[in-house]
Amino acid sequence: MTMSLGRVLRTGTVAVLALLWLVPTWLLVVNALVPAESYSGSPHWLPTEFGLFDNMSQAWDKANLGPAFGNSLLYSVVSALAAAVLAAGAAFATIIMPVKHRALWFWVIYSGTLLPLQVFIRPLFLSYAESSLYDTQFGLVLIYTAIAIPFAFFVMRNYALTLPKEVVEAARLDGASWWRLFWQIHVPLTRSAMIAVFVFQFVAVWNDLMFGITLTTSRNIRPVMAALADLQGNYSNVGPPVVLAGALLVSLPTLVLFFSAQRFFISSLRIHR
Amino acid sequence: MAPSVLLVAVFLLAPFVWTIHRSFFADTRTSPFSWFDNYTRFASDPALTRSIQNTLLWVVGTVVLPFVLGLAIACMTDATRFSRLARLCVVLPYALSGSAVAVVWNFMLTTDGAVNQVLTSVGLDSFAQGWLLTWPGNTLVMILANAWQATGVAVILFLVGLQSIPPETLEAGSLDGAGSWQQFRHIVLPQLRPVSIIVIGMSLVNGLKSFDLIWVLTQGGPGRATETLAVSMYNETFLELRPGAGAAIAVVLTVIVLAASWLYLRRQLDVKGE
Repeated sequence: MTMSLGRVLRTGTVAVLALLWLVPTWLLVVNALVPAESYSGSPHWLPTEFGLFDNMSQAWDKANLGPAFGNSLLYSVVSALAAAVLAAGAAFATIIMPVKHRALWFWVIYSGTLLPLQVFIRPLFLSYAESSLYDTQFGLVLIYTAIAIPFAFFVMRNYALTLPKEVVEAARLDGASWWRLFWQIHVPLTRSAMIAVFVFQFVAVWNDLMFGITLTTSRNIRPVMAALADLQGNYSNVGPPVVLAGALLVSLPTLVLFFSAQRFFISSLRIHR
Repeated sequence: MAPSVLLVAVFLLAPFVWTIHRSFFADTRTSPFSWFDNYTRFASDPALTRSIQNTLLWVVGTVVLPFVLGLAIACMTDATRFSRLARLCVVLPYALSGSAVAVVWNFMLTTDGAVNQVLTSVGLDSFAQGWLLTWPGNTLVMILANAWQATGVAVILFLVGLQSIPPETLEAGSLDGAGSWQQFRHIVLPQLRPVSIIVIGMSLVNGLKSFDLIWVLTQGGPGRATETLAVSMYNETFLELRPGAGAAIAVVLTVIVLAASWLYLRRQLDVKGE
């Protein structure tokens, strides 16, 4: 009897928590559906008409989401890919190759994850302004790659630690170069960790706001979150349904990626000892 | 290795050193050396004092809420039948960006937003208010918004931890007559220690650095009431055009983040790579 009472309480608590959690998500979706013209000024709780695509296209036009989407896609894919490959190389070098001062190199690269982003931003802003990297796609790709490397390196290194050393030793005896070893043995073996790193950094770059608003001014350079923040700044003009539809729209890529790769990258974050 | 080291050194470490250096100079264009002036401003500027208070609130709120809620939800949904659905509700916001979360919560919290609408409709008009307008309420509701998003990842990590507990230890516990609370306290909790350290460390550092939620919701205002150190740094540097003060804030923030990271990293890291 006490067992079942406990179970009822537990189920009840879970249900209440889940409902509480669902409320903002529910409101986001329902009110993004309300046609912008017929929004009365107070939040809707039940869907009545379907104006989602219309709202999305309004958000798309008013916030200039088109180029922002393209930019963020470019930044996320290129930076995450570059970070995964470069970090794999660094992990290979510090774990597999006989390099001196491993601990030093580890800390040089890893220190990047420990520092808050705020500490880099003004020097970058100034040097970007001087070197004409400011407000360019290349400039943003560079900084996003640099930010992504330290954590990517941490994950790749944890993974490289678990690889059998015998494979490498055997290949060395056969006379394979380090370069060949890296591309033909290390990269294929660590592929799943590299994909996990890619997904993780893709999401991080996609979600960045601070560098996006600091290192760009043009609408055709800035990333998608800067465009969303701009749309939110126009909240009273464009109306809540359009802003919410915009938020939904820019979240779709990461939502899809996150839920298709969830299991995969969580397991790679476990710390191997 | 060389490209990684080079990129990190040029884009992250060099600016870091430059910021430290800059923090000892005054805000004027000629920048005479000013010792610790930018640091003493922390004690005298009310906006910065408030910023430190807010940062402390954020740290407590972003560590305690996701930890407690994440642990509770992970434990309670580990077995029950409709748990997958319930868990999805909690994990879903984690996939949203800070900016999108801010958009959603602005919709909830504005004067004619959803929260006030609910309060009015159940007859609690007197509680309806401008949630983002008065301190400390505005900081507290933003911390709640952050917890709404951040609990998801804590749930996932705790579930990974729970699944790695061998079922035999729990069976042995119940054979010895341990109640479910005792089992939780003496068997489950100790085994979740490594995961707990990761969850706490992540939330701590993320709470200290959080920027986009506050920036999109209030830009640190009204006045400068909701600034945290991360937002203050941005404000001083790019809006108030006081780069020296901004640099000093960035350095203080870095020291705090490093100290916080150290607390959990020293348990987790084995640097030698053996």
